[in-house]
Amino acid sequence: MPRKPEPYLTNCVRELRGQAEGMTQQALADAVGVTRQTIVAMETGTYTPSLALAIRISRVFDCKVEDVFELNE
Amino acid sequence: MSPVQKVAWTELIVSVLAIVLVATLYPWLGSAALGGFALLGVLGITPLFLRRRGNQVVRDERDAQIEQIASWFGFGAAYLLLMLSMVAITLFYSQQQRDVPTSLLSVLLWSQFAFCYALKGAIALLQYRGTNSAA
Repeated sequence: MPRKPEPYLTNCVRELRGQAEGMTQQALADAVGVTRQTIVAMETGTYTPSLALAIRISRVFDCKVEDVFELNE
Repeated sequence: MSPVQKVAWTELIVSVLAIVLVATLYPWLGSAALGGFALLGVLGITPLFLRRRGNQVVRDERDAQIEQIASWFGFGAAYLLLMLSMVAITLFYSQQQRDVPTSLLSVLLWSQFAFCYALKGAIALLQYRGTNSAA
């Protein structure tokens, strides 16, 4: 029986940063309390943020978590 | 480079230097060359990289995750290698009906420490790969 692929999160943080007057990765990192490397890793899809971080990021952009992150199953 | 990356680089460089130093000095100094492992003491300065400076975030959830994975691999591999080499040494010397030299055990233990930190640092750095430049 073939293995079911693991679900993963995609996000549109980069697009939202662009819409937010070109907010820099460092500015977003400072706003949510992580390092800039974590924002880079998240945008490139190599890191899945915790629920707390996902909520903090969606609050910065003033939208729902589902509008920023999407679960691909 | 984040402070946790600096810690990983220090662990890797210091451990590899200690192994190279001991391996280089061993032919001339014999067991006394094990003193080269004292270089591992430099790892004691790594907490200095993690001290807070103003509002800078020094360690976040991803750093903690990377550190955990690197520690699992580093300590796991070093423990496995130590146990396997102990078994191999015991078998080798018991077949020859000789005692295991204590200096050999010393070399083994110290090199496991160095190997553990070198692997831990290398795995942490591998996980940070590609996240330094702005994407």
